[in-house]
Amino acid sequence: MATTEFPRPASSASSEPVELASANPDSLHKVMHARRSEYVRQRRIRVKVGTWNVAACPGTDKDLARWFVDGEGLDTATKPAPASGGHDNIGLYVLGLQEVNQLTAPTQYLNKIFITDTSAEDKWKAALEAGLPEGYKFVAAETLGGLLVLVYASSEVFPIVSNVSTTTVSAGLLGGYIGNKGAVCCRIILGESTNLLFVNCHLASGVESSYVSQRIWQVEQIQEYARFDPIQIAGVEEDDKGKIGDEDFAFWFGDLNSRLDRLPGDEIRRLLMLHTRGEYDLSKKGLPREDSLEGEGVVVQMLPGSNDDAKETEPAKETGSGDSGADDDDSLSLPDPDEFPLDPSEDPASLQTTLQSLLPHDQLRQLMRGGKVFSDGWREGPIDFLPTYKYDVGTVALFDSSEKRRPPSWCDRILYRTRKYKEEFERKEIEKEKRRKKDEEMKAQGLEQAGEEEDVLFSYDPDNDGEEAASSAAKAYDEYDEDDDGNGRDGDEDSADRIRLDFYTSHQRITSSDHKPVSSVFTIDYDAVDLSLRAMVHGEVVRQLDRAENEGRPVVTIIVDYQSSQSQSRSSSDQLEVDFGDLRFGKRETCSMTLANTGGAPATFSFVEKPTADSLHNSQSVEWLTTKFVQSDAIGGTEPSKLGKEVTLEPGETVNAIIEAFIGDINQSRALNEGKATLDEVLVLRVREGRDHFIPVRAEWSPTCIGRSIKELLRVPELTGIRAHAKSLADKKGTLAAIPIDVNPCRNAPRELVALTQAIDMLADRVLADEQMLEECEIPSAPGWPFDEFTWQATDKETRSSQVADLIDALDQGQRILEYFPPETPSTQRLEAVAEVFILFLRGLTDGVVTVPLWDLIEQRSIPAILQGVTASESTNEADKGTILDVLQDYPEHHLSFLFVTTSLARTAAELAPVTKKDLEAIKNDANAEGGRGGFGATFRKSMSFRRGTASSGEAAAKAFIALNTRRAKEKKYAEVFGSVVCRRPNPERERDRKALEERQRALVELFIRKKGE
Amino acid sequence: MADSGNAPKPSSSVKLVLLGEAAVGKSSLVLRFVNNDFQENKEPTIGAAFLTQKCNLPTRTIKFEIWDTAGQERFASLAPMYYRNAQAALVVYDLTKPTSLVKAKHWVAELQRQASPGIVIALVGNKLDLTNDEAGSGGDGESPGVDGEGDARKVTTDEAKTYADEEGLLFFETSAKTGYNVTEVFTAIANAIPETSLKTARGPGAAHAAARSEEQRVNLNGARDQNAKDGCAC
Repeated sequence: MATTEFPRPASSASSEPVELASANPDSLHKVMHARRSEYVRQRRIRVKVGTWNVAACPGTDKDLARWFVDGEGLDTATKPAPASGGHDNIGLYVLGLQEVNQLTAPTQYLNKIFITDTSAEDKWKAALEAGLPEGYKFVAAETLGGLLVLVYASSEVFPIVSNVSTTTVSAGLLGGYIGNKGAVCCRIILGESTNLLFVNCHLASGVESSYVSQRIWQVEQIQEYARFDPIQIAGVEEDDKGKIGDEDFAFWFGDLNSRLDRLPGDEIRRLLMLHTRGEYDLSKKGLPREDSLEGEGVVVQMLPGSNDDAKETEPAKETGSGDSGADDDDSLSLPDPDEFPLDPSEDPASLQTTLQSLLPHDQLRQLMRGGKVFSDGWREGPIDFLPTYKYDVGTVALFDSSEKRRPPSWCDRILYRTRKYKEEFERKEIEKEKRRKKDEEMKAQGLEQAGEEEDVLFSYDPDNDGEEAASSAAKAYDEYDEDDDGNGRDGDEDSADRIRLDFYTSHQRITSSDHKPVSSVFTIDYDAVDLSLRAMVHGEVVRQLDRAENEGRPVVTIIVDYQSSQSQSRSSSDQLEVDFGDLRFGKRETCSMTLANTGGAPATFSFVEKPTADSLHNSQSVEWLTTKFVQSDAIGGTEPSKLGKEVTLEPGETVNAIIEAFIGDINQSRALNEGKATLDEVLVLRVREGRDHFIPVRAEWSPTCIGRSIKELLRVPELTGIRAHAKSLADKKGTLAAIPIDVNPCRNAPRELVALTQAIDMLADRVLADEQMLEECEIPSAPGWPFDEFTWQATDKETRSSQVADLIDALDQGQRILEYFPPETPSTQRLEAVAEVFILFLRGLTDGVVTVPLWDLIEQRSIPAILQGVTASESTNEADKGTILDVLQDYPEHHLSFLFVTTSLARTAAELAPVTKKDLEAIKNDANAEGGRGGFGATFRKSMSFRRGTASSGEAAAKAFIALNTRRAKEKKYAEVFGSVVCRRPNPERERDRKALEERQRALVELFIRKKGE
Repeated sequence: MADSGNAPKPSSSVKLVLLGEAAVGKSSLVLRFVNNDFQENKEPTIGAAFLTQKCNLPTRTIKFEIWDTAGQERFASLAPMYYRNAQAALVVYDLTKPTSLVKAKHWVAELQRQASPGIVIALVGNKLDLTNDEAGSGGDGESPGVDGEGDARKVTTDEAKTYADEEGLLFFETSAKTGYNVTEVFTAIANAIPETSLKTARGPGAAHAAARSEEQRVNLNGARDQNAKDGCAC
């Protein structure tokens, strides 16, 4: 069989990734290429290459199969017939023919574009197919003028042939437009791996140097312009078209028209005739020949149509060739000593010696040697056959007897090249270039040594070279080889030539053309892709690249450290979760997490910002969770500094993330109380280029009184706090919900309202007492204190907000709120805190103390105090109050709450800004003294003037005025704070309307907290 | 309810890195220390794993930030990034595998050359349960890997101990499987970390306050986590 498998030792089983860094799409291709050896298996194929200039002679097609397929017609005079010259084990037949059609009319010289006639190609295909053994299949054909290349593959090889592409390069007259010279080329890929190139060319004829340069030019044209379809393997097409030089193995054959230089034609003829005459003298050689050739100038004139006769002569010859070395695969072995007493190469009279003396004159060899053409790694086997041109048609060995008497020459040749040869050449070129530069440098430095070195390098002994050429096929034209190169190659088993020239011969006895056919068989060890192996390696490489890519991604490990209070942190390694436990209104809970870069690349990450808080849909989207990054204080850290929203960590670094849960918004509280929202969130930590981490965060809402309606609050049983009640309801219902109002209320006013107003009363007393007892206690003089937040003394906002949260917690649990304060808390701050809770509570009432309908009713009554403001007139005020209470009467729950609030405020104002009866009397007296002309204002002005005087009764009155004024200011400010807290009314859009509304609401409260003038 | 508000921070963290050949039991030691758990046939660590564990000493609390590196050779180049700034290192070998001690020595040399100057290094020979040593094979009644017949130990205590002494390393032989000596390693490291490298920059009062809140935290978590925290009995 033509293909034999050579399993290679599984050398590179190492699983080390070839390259971890870059995992782009290209790298798969690169890695696959780097691991070629793992899925490529070496196979062996024999390729038979033949070339023949048929000179458009009739009958040549009939001879074709004889010499090309059957290996007949060998000239056995100069050497034994190669045993493997037959058709055994040939994987590829590649035939190049020249002058297949009669080019007589000038039009036929036109490029083949104009010739649609395929009859010539068909004729030769038929001729070859008739001779080929069973199973060979057509691979490719290409023609150009008289040039034809045909490729056939055995049934075993055919399936692994792919990417067949043929092309032509016209290099004839008129810049190549006339196509009688040029080349037909064929490129095939074997086993998805090995690129084979075949070039069949016909170069310009002629002995003179102008023709020589034309031939050189033609070869260059062919080398430069031949283009093949881009190679497509495993679905991947290469970007560029194929060209000469891409191949692993190349064969260049055809009629190269190389002539013998500087030798008179007649001299060559004479020299060769001596041999041919002797050669075919049967008596001398002792070879049985039916068609014995006798006499001077042996001529066996083949008459047209006498091919049958020629064939008849073959059997004997075939036996001869078959016997002479059938079991010797190395066709280059020496002849049998019995037949050849003397080694022909050493016999001065032998034909071979004669040939060797002629070969140095061969133009092609000279050009190759001189680097003029085919210098880049091309080789040719040893020539030990007679010149293939020019014979009289029909004769075995009669050189051109026409008038022209063309000198015999080796026109028909087969060159070959492997990738290795080409690369060797290129390497040497680089070395040469280096050396040249070095020489130049040395010359520049004036060293003569350089010149000497050059001499040595380029010295050339033609005779010596010729001998070498004859003795060694492989090294025939390695004139560039350094001395040690040959040794190096021999010693290097690995880089052994993967091509072997089995034979190179002409078929002397084929007489139907004026050229003799030339054929060679090459044995090639080539790489073939094992598809299953490649699939395996491919899968492995893909996995490896995937892994490399994944491992190259940033990886962040998150650990939940602990949480600030009673919450339950669960930092089990597989389940990342933050559970804040119970979350109360106004209470800030935090959780710290450590984020560590456990990957191999820098990691940049941030928490994903959610567009809206969907769990608290209608609540103006206030997030209950906030996140921030702070520096990890691993080593003697300073105060953790807050970092930006995005953090980058190098591998091995950590950072802390603080998650804060906080509900301080009344709307949120309301939604949570009513079960319309839950505290369930998934934080997303997005690692750039890495994977997202999802951190479920949850908390349990502690139901609170903030964000309830008065109706609900009234239905909380006497002894339990609202939280326990809401939870017990939730247990029954499965979820938190508003407290049902379809049952009878348990009380008249909300427990929380009672508790808060009581606390405020008590604290107001306490504050006053403290002010008298304790030096450090001073009641702020601002009229709004303690309800106006701008008057608050507490500067530590965190402590305050935590106090507020704790107070609310106490309310919700039905506990006494005053006991919640740490003992050291000053009473002023306690009062402020309770006041803040009081306002929060009132604001949080979903219906409000004065509900929207209630307010509308009040406004409908057109009460003067509300429309125009509270007046000094007691009677009007009392009347207005009466009207309002009338309205409120129909809403007993709100009525009572309203009174609770206003009474408490009035009482606080009275405590903090007392106006005694004495004061009032003093004012009254003073007013009487003035004849009751004016109000307080006049009296006050008067009192000021009294100061300058000495009237003691006036002084008392002045003090009283101040006290009363302070009281009025306080009442007014309290009313301002509580007006909108107590009354519900959608805010008008216009600023002016809004202010007016606020003014009316303030008036309502002021009316009820105003101290009555006696 | 006094400690609300401030985001509490660990009082003092110790960056600890585990190094050693693949499959010597680095991750298993950590798992035993942190979760008091053991898994047969653990998956190899990719890149590195990160865990934290608090360790209460009589005078202070230490939070270990444990960087458990991958032992596989292809991750070796990452190691310097993990031991950078580390205050402690556990260099682990498998006492049934002499080559792993060689590798451990390489790590020790590299740490001494390139890690922080004051780094505390402990050399740990793991898989004591595979030996006939009484200590290691004690376990919980379950017979250890070798059925009493063969002692798989290939590295003698003397050999490793001598080396550790020469290099000034802490030395332990442990079994992550039985838990033998595991917490002792970490406690010893915690004790060996110089006080100075633990100071916080909040001043003495703040440090004290932090320590106090730390205790509270531990207490809060204590009841629930008691089982898991058994490992840190220090």
